[in-house]
Amino acid sequence: MARLLDGPDLAKGAESLQDHTRRLGPVPALDQGFIATLGRTGATGRGGASFPVATKWQAVARHARRDVAILVNGAECEPLSKKDRALMTTRPHLILDGAFVAARVLGARRVVVYIGERHSVASRAMQQAVAERPASERSLVSFEAAPARYVAGQEAAAIHLINEGIATPTTMPPYPFVRGIDRMPTLVHNVETLGQIALIARTGDATGTVLITIAGAVPRPGVLEMSGTATVGDAVKRAGGSIDGARAILIGGYFGSWVDAGSAANLPLDAGILRTKGLNLGCGVIGVLAESRCPVCEVAGMMRYLASESSAQCGPCFFGLRALSEACIRISERGSNHEDLNRLQRWAVDVRGRGACRHPDGAVSLLQSAMKTFAHEFGTHTPHRATQQIGAA
Amino acid sequence: MDSTLLWYTTRGAGAVTLILLTAVVVLGILSTLRVESSSWPRFLTTGLHRNLALMTLVFLALHIVTAVVDPYTHLGWAAALIPFSSYYRTLWLGLGVISFELLLAIVVTSLVRGFLGHRTWRAVHWLTYAAWPVGVIHGLGTGTDTWSAWMLAITAACVAAVGTAIVIRLTSGSADPLAAHRITFQSAVDRRESR
Repeated sequence: MARLLDGPDLAKGAESLQDHTRRLGPVPALDQGFIATLGRTGATGRGGASFPVATKWQAVARHARRDVAILVNGAECEPLSKKDRALMTTRPHLILDGAFVAARVLGARRVVVYIGERHSVASRAMQQAVAERPASERSLVSFEAAPARYVAGQEAAAIHLINEGIATPTTMPPYPFVRGIDRMPTLVHNVETLGQIALIARTGDATGTVLITIAGAVPRPGVLEMSGTATVGDAVKRAGGSIDGARAILIGGYFGSWVDAGSAANLPLDAGILRTKGLNLGCGVIGVLAESRCPVCEVAGMMRYLASESSAQCGPCFFGLRALSEACIRISERGSNHEDLNRLQRWAVDVRGRGACRHPDGAVSLLQSAMKTFAHEFGTHTPHRATQQIGAA
Repeated sequence: MDSTLLWYTTRGAGAVTLILLTAVVVLGILSTLRVESSSWPRFLTTGLHRNLALMTLVFLALHIVTAVVDPYTHLGWAAALIPFSSYYRTLWLGLGVISFELLLAIVVTSLVRGFLGHRTWRAVHWLTYAAWPVGVIHGLGTGTDTWSAWMLAITAACVAAVGTAIVIRLTSGSADPLAAHRITFQSAVDRRESR
């Protein structure tokens, strides 16, 4: 079975169009029947929401009265994720194949590639790859740089930047599949999703793999391509680490959940199965928290970051996340107290669902999972004498 | 059921509805003010506004249902749902029906706001300024207890509360407590200059 990161040594950088085509063969001619193929494979988006790909394509096709646009989302604003950059840097033509398959099937005449402004290596690889494509494809493509802020990767924020030059989330509806880039129905896909689509276009089958960024307390943090039947424990092992030496695992990154290392070990890297357990694989981040680190300070740092990343458009998100992060920081700096613990429990419920985008919801589910998994630490925390650095796992 | 009990419930629920609705409207009008403390973050005010609104609907439903099922009145469901279709105090009951339906529209659009878009929701929400006074006039026109001292005091207090809130809102300008933070954030994601 073909995989995303098959082919030449990844350390050599981008695979050229010539090598790519020689290795995988050309993309077969496809029509709207391909949407049914996508549906049969059960492919889901890899940007974080795990939304079914075929449903998105159907929605765009249904609204495609005039022109359609494709948005290739390589903003990768999640602080712990590296997999989008890894794919753009090493297999750019896989991503472009996926984008041009979508353009042909849906009749798009515009493809916008949106890459984080600090991801310069990935951006150069993608621009070089576009330059290698035939003129008929090249002429469709333009590039936009995503500001390096958390919400800039959100689809409505990306479209807002492309249309108006400012990457703030907007209210939905209108959804991108109704009105996106230049008011056209727009298909927005994460770069990994497009890579998966490129392989489905050739084989008719899903790869069954997922790109994982493994971060934190492992000897070899980085990007792995794992089978969906492999477990969190397998991923930690492949990164040279051991789940026994970990206190907890962050599944799904900053919008994900903290899970006890013991219960995380046997969880499969499958968004659908994780969802049935109330977990979200998100953009595929697996963060390993060492026994020696303080979870409370870790969570306080993450909440402070997420609060600072609110675009200050909706009151409950801006003020709610600020209040929650301040309560976390008070516990972290002054020690556990009932008042703040109760506030965290109560306010988390009050903030959920109260923003135009899902930013507050993601932050709150992270906090709630942390308060469950680290209930003991939150209840007994005392300030550290030397300030422990708080921040990413 | 004892029809006297129903009749008392109708009147009581009507009075409670007026008080709750007034509280909702006052909180809504004053929501643009910067009211917060470390134990009361600003977003709780809007949460309270929403929950009180839902509770208002519950008492309003009680008010309407007990009035309709009361065998003494013979109002019928049509009179409760179609404005000015009641044989009994056609104008005053009709105003009550209109106020109820406006509130229903406001609450339903708020519950499905995510599907509706901000602009549509906001347009409908402006109907509050019609629903509240129409409801007050309905009470003044047809309330059994309207001219008793205690009900007069409640109505006067409600009118004074909303009036004061409107004056505070108008005189405090439209200070948006988010504005400064929004500008700071937007400057970080704004690429209009460089295009």
